[in-house]
Amino acid sequence: MESQYPAVLPGSVLPPASTGAAFGHHAVRVASVLAWPALFLVLLVAAWAFMAHRLDTPLVPGAGEVGLELVRVIGDGEFLRQMGITIQRVLLGFALAFAAALAAGIAMGRSRAFDRFMEPAILIGLTVPGLVWALLCVIWFGISLLTSTVAVALSIAPALVLNVAQGVKAVNADLVEMSAVFQLSFWARLRFLWLPTLAPFLLSAIRLGLSLAWKVIVLVEVFGMSSGVGYQLNSEFSSQNVAGVLAWTIGFAGVMALIEYGLIGALERHASRWRRVATL
Amino acid sequence: MSTHALPTRGTSLALHGVGKVYRAHGRDVIALENVTLELGATEFVSIVGHSGCGKSTLLRLAAGLDRDHSGKISFDGHPVTGPSLERGIIFQEHRLFPWLTVAQNVALAVHHAGLAPAGKQALVQSRIDLVGLTGFERAFPHQLSGGMSQRVAIARALTGSPRLLLLDEPFGALDAFNRLYIQQELQKIWQQQRLPMLLVTHDVEEAIFLSDRVVVMSPRPGRIQRIVDVRLPHPRDRTSAEFVAVKRVLLDELGYHAARAPGRAAA
Repeated sequence: MESQYPAVLPGSVLPPASTGAAFGHHAVRVASVLAWPALFLVLLVAAWAFMAHRLDTPLVPGAGEVGLELVRVIGDGEFLRQMGITIQRVLLGFALAFAAALAAGIAMGRSRAFDRFMEPAILIGLTVPGLVWALLCVIWFGISLLTSTVAVALSIAPALVLNVAQGVKAVNADLVEMSAVFQLSFWARLRFLWLPTLAPFLLSAIRLGLSLAWKVIVLVEVFGMSSGVGYQLNSEFSSQNVAGVLAWTIGFAGVMALIEYGLIGALERHASRWRRVATL
Repeated sequence: MSTHALPTRGTSLALHGVGKVYRAHGRDVIALENVTLELGATEFVSIVGHSGCGKSTLLRLAAGLDRDHSGKISFDGHPVTGPSLERGIIFQEHRLFPWLTVAQNVALAVHHAGLAPAGKQALVQSRIDLVGLTGFERAFPHQLSGGMSQRVAIARALTGSPRLLLLDEPFGALDAFNRLYIQQELQKIWQQQRLPMLLVTHDVEEAIFLSDRVVVMSPRPGRIQRIVDVRLPHPRDRTSAEFVAVKRVLLDELGYHAARAPGRAAA
């Protein structure tokens, strides 16, 4: 009655070759994805302009004024230079925290005793506000690269450790056994088993870590640095230039969004490529 | 690997007085007790028995995935001390790596072997062809049906050029049509490859269809209750009087009385 060969399940189509039509379809999808956030931003600016117009006070500068200020700081190269300094500080702290979290997270995922031992440290780490780390590091290390690096690392490490530990626990025991049957080397296991399993957890750790790091670095720069976006915010604040504070904030948020959607999004697509395109 | 002895004509896998004790909830549970079984060089042996009779445990011991046991397990005269490519294993779940394609999954079995890329590719392709999945080399596991995934697992186990194939209820999760079909496939592969196989199954009919000998195990503690020879020519007719006679013997051993449940397999 039925054909002897089991049929392929409906819908389980082999990856088709990319075509121009597929690309056009992609562009339409991107546009429809961007339309709603764009609408929000337009409404936000309009609401701000309306509010500034009604209040009519120097404390709430108009949208145009903020825009001009933004053009000015970007135009004279100051914004990019300060942003670069801040990003460098974040990356240093992030790298330190990431390396430590990878080691601690793997140890926690593999040893229940170490997991329990670290639990209070994680809880304390998660509850201490980034502001406290920033203050303490400024007091202890003064104006130095160490301050920003340690403050950022301490603020984000607990969240990173939790993510990595979860990823390690998610490794499929069946596949671990298969790796043993195939007598895969350490590097082959890392490549074929551990990294693909950990990838989504590492990505969410990176995303979470960076978002926490931005908040802390600005505080550190406000309290204890003579450069960076936080320092600029503080000096605009001191000279009571509200438009300046807003312009720096908007520029900063813009760069963060670019990193979030551009860099991390690209990493994510790379890590999940096996779900869509065959590689051989 | 140091075990490169030539396959002997006599015994491949040998278990002598094998026992296994689990520690569960502070009490010792005897999973296996004094199991002695030898597999001929090209023999197909099945193990049937109720849940908890230790048949899957036995297979894990033979695979080298669990070294904590009493008694002696040897393969081709060498003690089994861990997993090895020469003892291929297939589980009820296909256990494919979801982020690797069919071809990459099959190739993983010989990743360790250090073959030249061209030779490896030819080997992988020949195994994929053998299980009838030509054209699906670049598909990912989630694009395959259960039966196809299980055939990839068979191809993968055969790629390491094993000298023994261990099968742990490999078709248990398949639907009835797929199961009949893939049993025929496995039977052909067994005849082609001249390879000893040890199959653990719930399905008495499957055991008779494929095996030279069927081992009936009894639970708590798991031990061999009886070994039944199946001396029928291949391919076997499941409805022949001889086939049904063997089935009746096995069902009796398992505690299903033919008079009460005539001709029904204890699946």
